[in-house]
Amino acid sequence: MNNWEYSESIESEKIVNIEKKYGNFIDGKFVTPKSKQYIDTISPSTEKILSSISIGNQQDVDYAVASAKEGLKKWSKTNPSERAKYLFKLARLIQERSREFAVLESLDGGKPIKESRDFDLPQVAQNFFYYAGWADKLDIAWGSEQYKPYGVVGQIIPWNFPLLMLSWKVAPALATGNTVVLKPAETTPLTALLFAELCEEVGLPDGVFNLVTGDGSTGSHLVNHKDIKKIAFTGSTGVGKYIQKSLAGRDVGLTLELGGKAANIVYSDAALDEAVEGVVNGIFFNQGHVCCAGSRLLVQEDIEEKFIKKLEKRMQTLNVGNPLDKNTDVGAINSKDQLDKIEKLVNEGVADGGDLFQIECELPKNGFWFKPSLFTSVQANYKIATEEIFGPVLTTLTFRTPEEAVEIANNTEYGLSAGIWTEKGSKILWTADRLEAGVIWANTFNKFDPASPFGGYKESGFGREGGRHGLLSYLKVSS
Amino acid sequence: MTDIKKTYKNYVHGKFVRSESGKVYSIDLKKEKYEIPLTSKKDLRDAVTSSKEGFKNWNQLTMYNRSQILYRLSEMIEGNKDSYISLLEDHGLSKINSKNDINNAIDTIVWYAGLVDKWEQLTGNLNPVAGEYFNISHQEAIGVTFTLSSNSISLNELIKSILPPLTVGCSVINFSDKNAVIALKLSEDINNSDFPSGSLNLLSGKFENVIEDVGGHVEIKHAAIYEKISKKSSEILGQKASESVKRISILPSTSGISSILPFIETKTVWHPKGK
Repeated sequence: MNNWEYSESIESEKIVNIEKKYGNFIDGKFVTPKSKQYIDTISPSTEKILSSISIGNQQDVDYAVASAKEGLKKWSKTNPSERAKYLFKLARLIQERSREFAVLESLDGGKPIKESRDFDLPQVAQNFFYYAGWADKLDIAWGSEQYKPYGVVGQIIPWNFPLLMLSWKVAPALATGNTVVLKPAETTPLTALLFAELCEEVGLPDGVFNLVTGDGSTGSHLVNHKDIKKIAFTGSTGVGKYIQKSLAGRDVGLTLELGGKAANIVYSDAALDEAVEGVVNGIFFNQGHVCCAGSRLLVQEDIEEKFIKKLEKRMQTLNVGNPLDKNTDVGAINSKDQLDKIEKLVNEGVADGGDLFQIECELPKNGFWFKPSLFTSVQANYKIATEEIFGPVLTTLTFRTPEEAVEIANNTEYGLSAGIWTEKGSKILWTADRLEAGVIWANTFNKFDPASPFGGYKESGFGREGGRHGLLSYLKVSS
Repeated sequence: MTDIKKTYKNYVHGKFVRSESGKVYSIDLKKEKYEIPLTSKKDLRDAVTSSKEGFKNWNQLTMYNRSQILYRLSEMIEGNKDSYISLLEDHGLSKINSKNDINNAIDTIVWYAGLVDKWEQLTGNLNPVAGEYFNISHQEAIGVTFTLSSNSISLNELIKSILPPLTVGCSVINFSDKNAVIALKLSEDINNSDFPSGSLNLLSGKFENVIEDVGGHVEIKHAAIYEKISKKSSEILGQKASESVKRISILPSTSGISSILPFIETKTVWHPKGK
């Protein structure tokens, strides 16, 4: 229990300047949408309307793709080291205006300022900085073979890390000589719109980066556009499959970064206090709105009771509330829709027979909130143990042997990430070799770096983002 | 004295088998006419079952061991060169072209044999992350892989549609149509090269008969198409594949490191550094 309450420490909203209404960013400038259709974007922590954004239609997408096609003519003639400089400059501008971006991200998406300020924004800037340096080294990145860019790339990104996902997509695409049409998520478009201003500021050639806001229908127009040469998508496995199906039979590149249901395996010989920290960070980071969240705790049977006790105690210290309060650990759920999904799955978990522990805390009256939750006494076939909840809900399963841990961990159609907690090095390597997952955190969790490839096995998608491997998502072998 | 003509069969799990359907199709060469298995959906499923086990069998061998098995295949072909040359001649190739093709095929096998225990040094690396972490990206074989070989009358082209996935540790179901007699002949040398059961299966037939199952079977993790197929076929394959987010490669690279990239998954492992 909290013996000491924190005093409020609120980050000021004054630093951001939000327009009442936004258009699209096409051909190097903000333009009035042809669709003339708008939707409000709200702050999920207060339900206050922040701004109004356009729902791009076919004509808006046509315009953006045409602009990207035109932009490609210039961009492909731009010297690679010049391309690098634009990206370096963007990285610098992001660093300079980092606080502004962080506040805007927390306002629009509901994530704690502690995370947007100390995680998202530093990673965003670093990502542009990292890929900038590859722009003039593509000929040596993967041996001497000739790779070339796809051309016009369509990118569709989710609402959980809006600007970070933008940087994961845009930086490598531009570094490799492609031009971009980006569609951010309809609930979190504001930081992408601010990023567009930076592109204008650095003088990125017109048409190289284009932004069309909108919902699934806008994304669909982009996927089905005849002049798109590659689609990069991050989001749910359901939508990923739909995109893959839509592109069947077309010569369009595709990379998918989809859902997950990661196992976080705690062996009985783990450093338990560190493991508790890692498990908490693994699931409650960003309200659990993380595709690689460690949402299935696999704990060795002989330490279950002890571990759960420690875990519940630690969970109780989490501060849930105003995302702009610097003491907040868990912010608002991103949208009403998402909150409904989480509540539905959690109710099913209780109905199935799972034991639910939720921390004691007061939730704000307005906005969308969910208490950090832990399920025990769960059977492997419960929905809460198989479906991605994408919220602050951890499900516990137990195992006796390492073989059993691996079997349970792999018993899912997903394969994005996994965690291993043990002090025994050989057991880490043995386990890591057998886990079907693209990212494995041993004695740590939810660590990211622009230099480190990220992406899934199985139905968690294909292709990698980050590192040298991330370049391959935007290059094809020239024939 | 009457010459004895060989009956060619599918090669599944280390055995020479007819199609369970009993169906065949003809390949009419200059001298000989062969009736070879018209692979059915059931045959394909049997091959997948075999390949699933084959993937485990192939992967539990060391890279050094796998490398030697591939090299062994080149030795076997070298010993039977004349019979391959005459088979290609019967397909209508000139003697010199036939000879060159077999020599090229042997060179291709030797190249991949030597790559088995090296490719990961070229595709994986440590990642210089900004923090006190050990971070390594290494690769694993994607699993059971289906390959549709090119229709060109060439052992070398056939080999190029088999070895890239096999080199990285996938088990392979190779499917051939117009060049199937060459493929089924190759299975004899494969059978003599110590490949573990199911690591490499060879089927003959018409791709359109099995296309939906290739796309839809969840145990096939990757389908690589080395022959130009119709837009319609490509649509069916892609649509079925999307149900399980299956990887599809249409006309992938057939040389260099880029030839193996479609068949590997990158796994990145993090660990903190500390005292």
